[in-house]
Amino acid sequence: MEYIIGILLLISFFGLAVYAVRGGNLMLGIFVMGIIWTVLPMLGNMFVTNPEFIAANQEAISITWTDALQKVFQSGPEGWGSVLVNVIFGAWFGRVLMNTGIASTLIRTTTELGGDKPAITCILLCIVTTACFSSIFGAGAVVAIGVIVLPIFMSLGIPKVLATCSFMLSVGAGMFVNPVLYGQFSAFFLGEDGKTLYPYEQHISWGIYALLIQVVVVILMVAFLSSKKRVHSWAATAPTSRKKRRADNAPGIALIAPILPVVLLIVFKVPIILGFIMGSFYALFTCGKIKSWSQTCRMVNKDFFDGVVDTAPLVGFLLMLPMFNKAAELCVPYFNALLGGIIPNNTLIISIVFALISPMGMFRGPLTLFGCGAATLGILKGIGFSTAYLAPLIIIPSTVMNVSCCITQSWIIWGVNYAKVSTREYLKLSAVVGWLICIILQVMVYVMFG
Amino acid sequence: MFRRKKQEISQKIFPLEEMVSELLKLGEQQWGSYAFYHEPLERKFTEEQKKEYTARACACGREEARKLMTQFPGRKVRDIIKDMGLKGEMPDLPTGGGHVIFAQYTEPDQILVFGDCVKKAEKMIEEANLWNCLGKVNIEEILFAHELFHAVEFQKKREIYTQTEKIELWRKPFSNKSKILCLSEMAAMEFAKELTGISFSPYVLDVLLMYGYEKEAASALYEEILEAAGIREREE
Repeated sequence: MEYIIGILLLISFFGLAVYAVRGGNLMLGIFVMGIIWTVLPMLGNMFVTNPEFIAANQEAISITWTDALQKVFQSGPEGWGSVLVNVIFGAWFGRVLMNTGIASTLIRTTTELGGDKPAITCILLCIVTTACFSSIFGAGAVVAIGVIVLPIFMSLGIPKVLATCSFMLSVGAGMFVNPVLYGQFSAFFLGEDGKTLYPYEQHISWGIYALLIQVVVVILMVAFLSSKKRVHSWAATAPTSRKKRRADNAPGIALIAPILPVVLLIVFKVPIILGFIMGSFYALFTCGKIKSWSQTCRMVNKDFFDGVVDTAPLVGFLLMLPMFNKAAELCVPYFNALLGGIIPNNTLIISIVFALISPMGMFRGPLTLFGCGAATLGILKGIGFSTAYLAPLIIIPSTVMNVSCCITQSWIIWGVNYAKVSTREYLKLSAVVGWLICIILQVMVYVMFG
Repeated sequence: MFRRKKQEISQKIFPLEEMVSELLKLGEQQWGSYAFYHEPLERKFTEEQKKEYTARACACGREEARKLMTQFPGRKVRDIIKDMGLKGEMPDLPTGGGHVIFAQYTEPDQILVFGDCVKKAEKMIEEANLWNCLGKVNIEEILFAHELFHAVEFQKKREIYTQTEKIELWRKPFSNKSKILCLSEMAAMEFAKELTGISFSPYVLDVLLMYGYEKEAASALYEEILEAAGIREREE
């Protein structure tokens, strides 16, 4: 019985992968998977007869229907409340950086350093983009910065594919230390008491190196590929804001605001929400936006509103995902029964396999936590690997292949459409570079935690 | 995400005829101000410097066009492209969205004009009966001529004004001299105007061609041009 259930679970798993690759709505796809992965193991629990299986999974298979439904559909989304709060504060902070003109001033100042040298300017802008996204999160922020950076890249004659790919990989590099994204990852590693087993300090201990490695690979990619034929385009860009272009001129002292929350968190252990609040008010104050109480109230209200709107498309998905994650926990005994004997209990082999099959982190596949990777994680957890090793093992393809490279990521598909790059051309570059980064990072993680 | 973007630029949609007739009134210096709006190094220049650069870049474009017309008398733009050993193609790629690409030149010898926007523009000119104000205009030829200037620039990169004029970006003792990218675009527009014999700046096509894809975006762009030209203030 356990093998039949295991096979049915695997079939549904591949069904989700195919559905995701075909561009199906992931929020509902994940929700349906949550239902299937709750019903199948619960049916299995009712009819399983193998005494060895029952003895090995006594606690897991004795869960009642009421408890299972409570765990998946109530506790799951509720548990992600703290993650959502971080996401919203991060989006607000992003909005403040846009509306004070800090982001655009930072980009302009960087461009003025590099001038018409495509490689130098592109590299400098990639570094600045990474720094910004070490704190900011959200599609709204990526779009707001992208509409400034991408036309600059293209006006410098950088090929569109390279421009889009380097920008998106730079956004993704910053995400390695981004507290908001960390919050989403940490929710996959909760203990019995509901507290995370994977603290931010642990994440940053390798995340900072991952960030540096990804930036270095982006720099090498730009240096190597931008020396090829330059492209001059006659293009028109629609203004994205009714604000006057020249109104954006933030003072030099305000330009450190983008990295303030993450620096406060790493150096002074300031909680991230407080960090976002301090960063936002620092930005508003240094840009002279705080003039009166009523005007400040209006401005903060509006920025918060815009920030929440920015996160809206993500919220539905983020609330369905924990149902799937919790349902995956119910399936662990069946995956173990089916795959436990096949998957080696050896970190070296697992690291090599993860490095080799990293592209499966794309298209919401089995190696990304924002797709079917929740199930893969469930299986590996069942085998007994430590969280310190398991977390980076799966966070690497999730951050590199999914968040930085894949066209199923909302802001990446925006960038591809904006720059008029064919998805095929984009993936040919992003997947290869992303794969290379994953291999390097998996070696690093094996050396550090393997 | 996309809905919000639309809302931000949602505004009065101007009739195409009104926009084109207003834009036709703009002079060289006003188009220069618009070009500097998109210059990444814009903050480095005073208004006086911008005016001087604009005049020189336009003169450079006109001069290069005249040289080419002397070298290839009576030849059409696409013939000149062929005679110069360049590859001119017109793929029919749709290029809609907030950033619409009309044509491109890839070093050293490839010129692409996207046929989709040309067809859309010709249809709109016909429908709005713009032939009277625009005159006998060949959109395809203007786009090819603009990109041809970049090919000429590439061939003359050591001597042509738009490639040799540079500004210092760093403070001493460090040095990083940079070209001013918008000079190249201004010269290419003036080059295309001279070579095709049209009476208006090809910059008008920014709005006209964009209109074929997104009327709101074209109207927002029109407002931006008027703002840059010092004609109308946009709201903060």
